[in-house]
Amino acid sequence: MSETAKHATSETTVIDADVHITVEEETVAKYMDEPYRSSITESPHPIFPSSSWDQRMGGKIDDHFSTFTSAGDLLTFQKEFDIEYPIINMFEPLGKFSQPDLAVNLMQAYNNLLFDQFLDDHDFLGLASIATQKPDKAAEELDRVGDEDQIVGVYVGTSGEYPPLGDPEYDIIFQAAEDNGLPIVYHGNGDEFMFDFPIHNRGFNNYFEVQTLGHPWQQMATMSSLIGEGVPEKFPELDFVFLESGIGWVPYMMHRMNKIYHMRRSEVPLLEKSPEEYLRDSFYFGSQPLGEPNDPAHMKQIIGMIGADNLMFATDYPHWDFDHVEELDKYLRNYFTEEEREKVLYETPAEAFNLSL
Amino acid sequence: MEEHVVATTDELSQGERKLVEIEGREIAVFYVNGEHRAYTNWCAHQSGPVCEGKLTGTSNAEFDRDSLTVDLDWCKEGEVLNCPWHGWEYDVTDGSCLSKDKVRLPSHSVKVEGDEIIITL
Repeated sequence: MSETAKHATSETTVIDADVHITVEEETVAKYMDEPYRSSITESPHPIFPSSSWDQRMGGKIDDHFSTFTSAGDLLTFQKEFDIEYPIINMFEPLGKFSQPDLAVNLMQAYNNLLFDQFLDDHDFLGLASIATQKPDKAAEELDRVGDEDQIVGVYVGTSGEYPPLGDPEYDIIFQAAEDNGLPIVYHGNGDEFMFDFPIHNRGFNNYFEVQTLGHPWQQMATMSSLIGEGVPEKFPELDFVFLESGIGWVPYMMHRMNKIYHMRRSEVPLLEKSPEEYLRDSFYFGSQPLGEPNDPAHMKQIIGMIGADNLMFATDYPHWDFDHVEELDKYLRNYFTEEEREKVLYETPAEAFNLSL
Repeated sequence: MEEHVVATTDELSQGERKLVEIEGREIAVFYVNGEHRAYTNWCAHQSGPVCEGKLTGTSNAEFDRDSLTVDLDWCKEGEVLNCPWHGWEYDVTDGSCLSKDKVRLPSHSVKVEGDEIIITL
């Protein structure tokens, strides 16, 4: 991490909705039970599946990822980026694991690690990981860790999870999250594109194409499933947070789902109002990676369409495509009121994650 | 306002309709559940010929949070007018749109005198 100049947010309280802790496989294995621990440490074949895309292009993009592993690293990041409240997650999308029992044990291990290394001795805020392969186990896990004050949401990968994430199979998870007052936080992954879109993953020739589509396709599939299955109507107190797909896709989905809803209402009879109303009432969106229109006024329009009540800032640090706060703040300062700016940087995420700071 | 005789009662059985043109406007009179209703043949969505669409039932659903089950119900049989262009649903008994509050089919006063069905326009 390089030294950064003092910037406009140094006088502003900032919540960062998406900060990833890098956890080595050997580290999480220490928190696992047998035989799963040995599956990680002893197997000659990699248990953590990964695609072969080179995200950092042979080192042309610096690796901040490997060294971002400890509470000390997080404290340094807070200071350098002027982030008062980083909301941390354990990153690994658990839907990609083939063995359901191993995924369940990994879920518990990541959460125990989160407490042991980050929350117990510091006042950080974190998201509880869940594996969706066994929804009843995920619900049990939320009841186990969900009433801890520092757990402020439920972290769900949107890559590899099957069936799609609004399926009634997951109602027990939504019920547990709502009972524990936790929003569900969805996070896609470019590297795991192959689990959801294997044919396209084989067909594309470079990571540019995969990264462009991976996150938004995963998040669109998740949002479409949630609305189509009536999840916000079933669990009206539950909130939903979408991270790391930027925001340009949100108005598109909002308007497209409105159109299809009016044409096919009887197919989704749980819905009592338009998809856009559900999104505005209970969905929140992390800004990163913010799109880069050639004309900045176009980003003003997109931010305006989503609005300060549903938009929140996120860095995605320490991943290679992270956003510095200035990436979003330059638009907020130039085009929006100070009230709206403070909502995006602080009040809206505080509301989404039920923070009493 | 002018009264127009558009049909005789024996022309319309339960669930039937008659589309007429009055002063250049396409209007349909429906006979549903013992009542006559008249609407302009114009869908609020994209101006489609809504009154030429099928009369069907529709789905309703209720979720029980304790049992996590959805109870699907087919209801309003013969009372839901579906626009033939894109499927927007209207309750033919009052013209209300089922997917959008405050949207209604343009309706017209209907009365029966003797065996004549009369629309006031």
